[in-house]
Amino acid sequence: MIGSVEGTGVVSADASLVARLRDGDERAFDEVVSGFSPAMLAVARGYVGARSVAEEVVQEAWLGVLRGLDRFEGRSTLRTWVLRIVANIARDRAVREARSLPFSPSDFEGNDPAVDVRRFRLQTEPYPGGWRSFPSDWRLLPETQVAGRETLDAVREAIAALPDAQRMVVTLRDVLGCPAEEVCEALDLTPGNQRVLLHRARARVRAHLERHFDG
Amino acid sequence: MRAYKFLTADGLGVFSGHAWPLPNGVPGAWVEAEVDPCSSGIHACRTVDLPYWVTPVLYEIELDGPVTEQSMKVVAPRGRLLRRIDAWDAGAREAYGRMCVSRALELVAGAPYRLEGWAPTPDMAPESARVGFIAARIAEELGGAAAFLEERRRQSAWFVAQLGLD
Amino acid sequence: MVERPQEPASGYTCREVVELVTEYLDGAMTPGERAALEVHLNYCDGCATFLEQIRTSASLAGGVAPEQIPEDVTEALRAAFRARREP
Repeated sequence: MIGSVEGTGVVSADASLVARLRDGDERAFDEVVSGFSPAMLAVARGYVGARSVAEEVVQEAWLGVLRGLDRFEGRSTLRTWVLRIVANIARDRAVREARSLPFSPSDFEGNDPAVDVRRFRLQTEPYPGGWRSFPSDWRLLPETQVAGRETLDAVREAIAALPDAQRMVVTLRDVLGCPAEEVCEALDLTPGNQRVLLHRARARVRAHLERHFDG
Repeated sequence: MRAYKFLTADGLGVFSGHAWPLPNGVPGAWVEAEVDPCSSGIHACRTVDLPYWVTPVLYEIELDGPVTEQSMKVVAPRGRLLRRIDAWDAGAREAYGRMCVSRALELVAGAPYRLEGWAPTPDMAPESARVGFIAARIAEELGGAAAFLEERRRQSAWFVAQLGLD
Repeated sequence: MVERPQEPASGYTCREVVELVTEYLDGAMTPGERAALEVHLNYCDGCATFLEQIRTSASLAGGVAPEQIPEDVTEALRAAFRARREP
């Protein structure tokens, strides 16, 4: 992860990176391409779906970044700025292809409980809203099983099956470790909406893992 | 200000995971925290707060700097553990749990309508925090929020009397 | 998400707690909400386990290999980067 935003000033780690890029330092370029492209792909796929189209969008975005590099003012981190460029290009592409855009009101509305409501006691029962039976403690499973290859496959599967907006946010936050503020800024999300998407995504990944572990 | 602090059995902050310098005849070292009352700051209990935070290990703590009193806890910029409350041992925890279970059963028995399924069983007594909640929750079911708080006060009084706190 | 604060003196129910864990982990709760949630976690093993499962899910996601752009795209970009220097 590169730098952090300090007010609106130029981010120091970013500043030297930007200077190297403007200087034509190819190693700096390789560094940012391999460092930023996974997040860019995640954003692009959220809008355009297909991997091949997303790769085109990312490529186009990089060309836009190269053209705009001299105009970058460091008001956000370099990565956030790059992600906003991808999001714009991907959005245009999605509109042209008449795809429905992520972050429509339906992504935030409605009742999408994190846990199947049947697992909680009814209003008419003792301790209403309490667990009928507790979830199982994964810390009691063998470490090799919890962190094993099959588990990671299950996580990947669960993330792949998420609605676009949720997949985008959980990939940025949990797979790639982007801070919440960056995701909000890059995708024009309010903190609350960002959290709703992350929460729903994590809840589905958890539920998938629960089926995976508990059978 | 003197207050109390529950830690995990390993001497860690229950939610922060912070490894507290433990007192050893002399007070433990001061621990500083930024006082953003939302997440950091040294959290501690007044005696009335004790029933909400019960764990197996209890210390007396000295707080320094402006202390913010909140519902269910106090927060300060600095604190150090003064001494472990040795009286809060396995026997005391068991006694507290039994007291909570019998209070819960007493409330259920005295209820004007049947509270089937609410009563704890005696084997739950070692789960001190849980049975404390259960007794208060049953009180709330019968008498509303005021009764819940009254039950918590009753539990706090048990700590004060049985462990010799002030 | 959950609109009701700790209105009943007994605080959140388990069904409410499971909707609040992301807010909790992101440090987005008020001190009062946070205390009410932690009190609940302190007596409720079910919710404490649920929170742990969410933490585990998030950290396992961090072990998933991120998708990368193909090498030929990287090559094309490198060429464009070089060309940028030339008038």
